[in-house]
Amino acid sequence: MITITKEELLKFAHLSRIEIQATEIDSLLKQLNGVLNYAQRVQEIAKPIEESLQKNRNVWRDDVIIKTNPQPLLANAPEQEADYFVVPVVLDNE
Amino acid sequence: MAELAFATIAELKKKLEKKEISKQELLSYCIGRFKKHDPQIESALEIFDDQSVIKASPQDGILSGIPGILKDNIAQKGRKLTCSSKILQGFTATYDATASHNLKKEGALLVGRANCDEFAMGSSGETSAYKKTKNPWNLARVPGGSSSGSAAAVAAGLVPWSLGSETGGSVRLPAAFCNLVGSKPTYGLISRYGLVAYGSSLDHIGVLTRTVYDNALVLSAIASPDVHDSSSRGVKKDYTKSLTEKLPNGLTIGIVDNALHAKGMNSEIAAAIEKAISVFEKLGATVKRINVPTIDYSAATYFIVSRAEAASNLSRFDGVRYGLRADVDTLEQMYSKTRHNGFGTEVKTRIIVGNYVLSAGYAGQFYEKANMVRAMIRADFVKAFKNIDLLVMPTHSIPAFKFGEFDVDKLAMDLQDSFTCSANLAHIPAISVPCGFTSDKLPIGLQLVGPDFSEELLFQVGHAYEQATDWHKQYASL
Repeated sequence: MITITKEELLKFAHLSRIEIQATEIDSLLKQLNGVLNYAQRVQEIAKPIEESLQKNRNVWRDDVIIKTNPQPLLANAPEQEADYFVVPVVLDNE
Repeated sequence: MAELAFATIAELKKKLEKKEISKQELLSYCIGRFKKHDPQIESALEIFDDQSVIKASPQDGILSGIPGILKDNIAQKGRKLTCSSKILQGFTATYDATASHNLKKEGALLVGRANCDEFAMGSSGETSAYKKTKNPWNLARVPGGSSSGSAAAVAAGLVPWSLGSETGGSVRLPAAFCNLVGSKPTYGLISRYGLVAYGSSLDHIGVLTRTVYDNALVLSAIASPDVHDSSSRGVKKDYTKSLTEKLPNGLTIGIVDNALHAKGMNSEIAAAIEKAISVFEKLGATVKRINVPTIDYSAATYFIVSRAEAASNLSRFDGVRYGLRADVDTLEQMYSKTRHNGFGTEVKTRIIVGNYVLSAGYAGQFYEKANMVRAMIRADFVKAFKNIDLLVMPTHSIPAFKFGEFDVDKLAMDLQDSFTCSANLAHIPAISVPCGFTSDKLPIGLQLVGPDFSEELLFQVGHAYEQATDWHKQYASL
């Protein structure tokens, strides 16, 4: 039986870069515990299979630079300047 | 023109060819149907203006002048693309998905954007940040998800076809809930270029229609090789050619007993499928009862693999390049706050579960084990297909349920994918076809599942079954 603690939830929420508010914690814990406790049944039967049955293969193409106008893409950004996306300050001046 | 609403693509093509109706008239008719009925059904997030729709598809092809709608996670150049999420509010697609491109090349008219579960995560359509699509068969019930709007629009007779997408059954499940044909072809047959990624090793584009012929026709339009999708294995061919109205000689069908008799299976659904099996026998098929034991573990496997891949794919929504951005001081806060405000609860939960099963402490218990079971599931199918040509399984265990029915038990909602997700995990093709109704007049679907690239066989068998029954001729009354 898996029981995720509040601390673990907040740790994985932080790793996921998702802010969690106090009012959300209980229902998230319930959902997480529900799905993980169900999912862990894979351990009952999991064993490695020797032969590969996958028929998939990668489809390659030449890596060619295609010049495109960046403006339509930049126009979707919340904030942009010249040919750049603008983000909050990353490095402190001090 | 009432008969137009539920006309098949095949019938509409004839009407257009005979000039009984013009392209413009048909389009106006469909847009008029949306205006009249969609305030009630809420299948579409947007219906485009008719002139821009016609202008986008100037060429003639196998779908010339036939209107349809695309799930709002498939890019249509110059149109908004939201995945029914607030985080993509205001985003405009800068290019066409290969599926959209191919449809336009074949003359199809793309009339709008269909509502869906947020980022295609859900089995009911209820996680959309914008609206709750109703099931045209019963407005108090869900149409199934995640391709909720795509299914409801076709079932309500607003358009004759739509595209959905599925990672664990999001085309076949709403097809079954809405009395439609829903197909998920072999992994790679339809390029995913321009489909917003959720679980890349499981994601497929699929087709929803009211008949098997129409489904095969739309697949013929969109399947193609594509250098933009490294998993693409598409070939251009006419998938309607195999529809002979007969089963192939010597066809052996395997009934997946452990699915049909699974715990919680609705008795009316099981009875409808048993009845369908007797139809296959009458049509000349040899029927064998088999077990595919690993299917019982497919939902657990799917939960782990899909959430893990979602956690990775959805990390791109960070407030930098598109959509929503929270107005805060630091970069770190911007990521966390934007994702808090922009994602709904279901999406947040799946991302957090994904990072949990991938984390150093738990990957061995979860992600690695799930990948082993995934290979075992495929091996089980490959083994089954040595002695039989295709499998019959239920698509769903319960009929379309009421809104909010699973609000307190989300796991039960997630388990709606139990019979569909094994085909996504194994990369094999599957179609759901109508096979009856419950006593409450709720549609029932059955699945035909075949080996890699057996679409033509699935369509042939589905079509033969359809000709022997009349479920597909029953329409929701609005």
